[in-house]
Amino acid sequence: MSLFIAVRVDPERCRAGQPCTACIGVCPVAIFEGRDGLAGVIGENEDECILCDLCLARCPTDAIAIHKLYADEIRTGACVQGSPR
Amino acid sequence: MRLLEYEAKQILRDRGFEIPRGIVVRRAGELDQALPSVSFPAMVKAQVPIGGRGKAGAVIRVEDARAARDAAERLLCGHVRGYPVEALLLEEAVSIRGEFFLAVTYDTVEKQAILLASGAGGVDVESPGQASPDRMVRRVLDVRRGLHEFEARQVAAKVGLAGRDLLGFAGVVRQAADAFLGLDCTLLEINPLARTDEGRFVVADAHLEVDEDALYRQPHLETGYRIPRREASGRAPTEFERRAAEVDAIDHRGVAGRVIEFDGNLGLLIGGGGASLTAFDAIRRHGGRPANYCEIGGNPSVRKVAELTKLILSRPGVERIAVIMNVVSNTRVDLIARGVIQGSLEAGRDPGRTIAAFRVPGSWEEEGFTLLRKYGVEFCDRGVSIDEASRRAVARQA
Ligand code: SF4
Ligand code: SF4
Repeated sequence: MSLFIAVRVDPERCRAGQPCTACIGVCPVAIFEGRDGLAGVIGENEDECILCDLCLARCPTDAIAIHKLYADEIRTGACVQGSPR
Repeated sequence: MRLLEYEAKQILRDRGFEIPRGIVVRRAGELDQALPSVSFPAMVKAQVPIGGRGKAGAVIRVEDARAARDAAERLLCGHVRGYPVEALLLEEAVSIRGEFFLAVTYDTVEKQAILLASGAGGVDVESPGQASPDRMVRRVLDVRRGLHEFEARQVAAKVGLAGRDLLGFAGVVRQAADAFLGLDCTLLEINPLARTDEGRFVVADAHLEVDEDALYRQPHLETGYRIPRREASGRAPTEFERRAAEVDAIDHRGVAGRVIEFDGNLGLLIGGGGASLTAFDAIRRHGGRPANYCEIGGNPSVRKVAELTKLILSRPGVERIAVIMNVVSNTRVDLIARGVIQGSLEAGRDPGRTIAAFRVPGSWEEEGFTLLRKYGVEFCDRGVSIDEASRRAVARQA
């Protein structure tokens, strides 16, 4: 269980039928991996998240949420609107 | 990592340098077997990782086996400038007709490799006022392409040599440049490089330092030459220091390791470099006793900082740690905060009690402060000096 950061991928939204590996490719600290055709989160790496927002900016379906457990703040695609996808 | 003379010479011999014949002795009991193979006159040389051995009486010329035994027995049970003598090199004396100085190192101001050569080698060549600097030949060494033969000859000519001597010396200069680059050295020094009566150039003494960050590229030093890893100080790393090095090797991100063990009770997570020396001194001045020195920087992973924190807290008597750095631009405050909090928790400690001071101002400090507040850790920003943060850490120890 992570202490500081919880990264969640909404399986209902992820890929939405389209092939996509954007978050897996872009995350600099390897938090995502392909799992059963969707993006999965590697739990032991979650606390390494550097809050760069790249995954949020690149996810075409706004399926990712990053929860800062120490600040009660949840970052989603809406936080980075206007960033290049 | 500084190699001992005999280790350096073994390596240089394998690379084609001419080295006097010698034998290594580690205990007085080995002398009976070793002495018959030594040709006299010979040199008895204490193997310690520090210069100035000659002046300290740790290099003795002996004319026969009896004198060699006396000198060896005396040296083997002593210390040289604070270092215990763990080995001796018994080596045939070279008939010296001329002494030269040859070194390759990095000029840290110009940030490039340089080659230094002089026709005046010997014990005082580096002492200020002893060697005239205008007689020292200095040339930049291109680390990508090395040294061409003609460039080595130019160096030899500038040293004042001609004819066969020029060719012989140039050959050694070229070999030295190749060895320096091939072995990832930070220093290769041959002093003296002796010219014998027969006109050969012989490595009478050698000093090699290998870049510790490049040791993974030189596995033959440990596997082939059986040279154990040592701290920059020349001593073997302690178990604690070895484990810190393993923490640093967990991943390639940043540095969180390079620990030096001390006997105090206040663990330190500091950045290395000048500010850390300031913090270290300040802690001592305020009556604290550091348990370690360390280096953190370049955005190490949270995992590495956590593991280092746990390791430091695992030492007997270490109840608290002080996390003190100068203003950091290349290391994120929040990630360091995550690491020390996680490490404290995984060590079964309360971060608020365990972290005696957190003074790391810089990138993402607000995020870091939010996190520290959440876990009840006292922190300060750049408005509090390193000295004051150190004082507070010591005061919380009391
Ligand atoms: S915010 Fe950055 S570090 Fe965190 S999960 Fe997304 S891409 Fe990875
Ligand atoms: S970027 Fe979004 S849609 Fe693409 S794999 Fe990752 S979570 Fe799924």
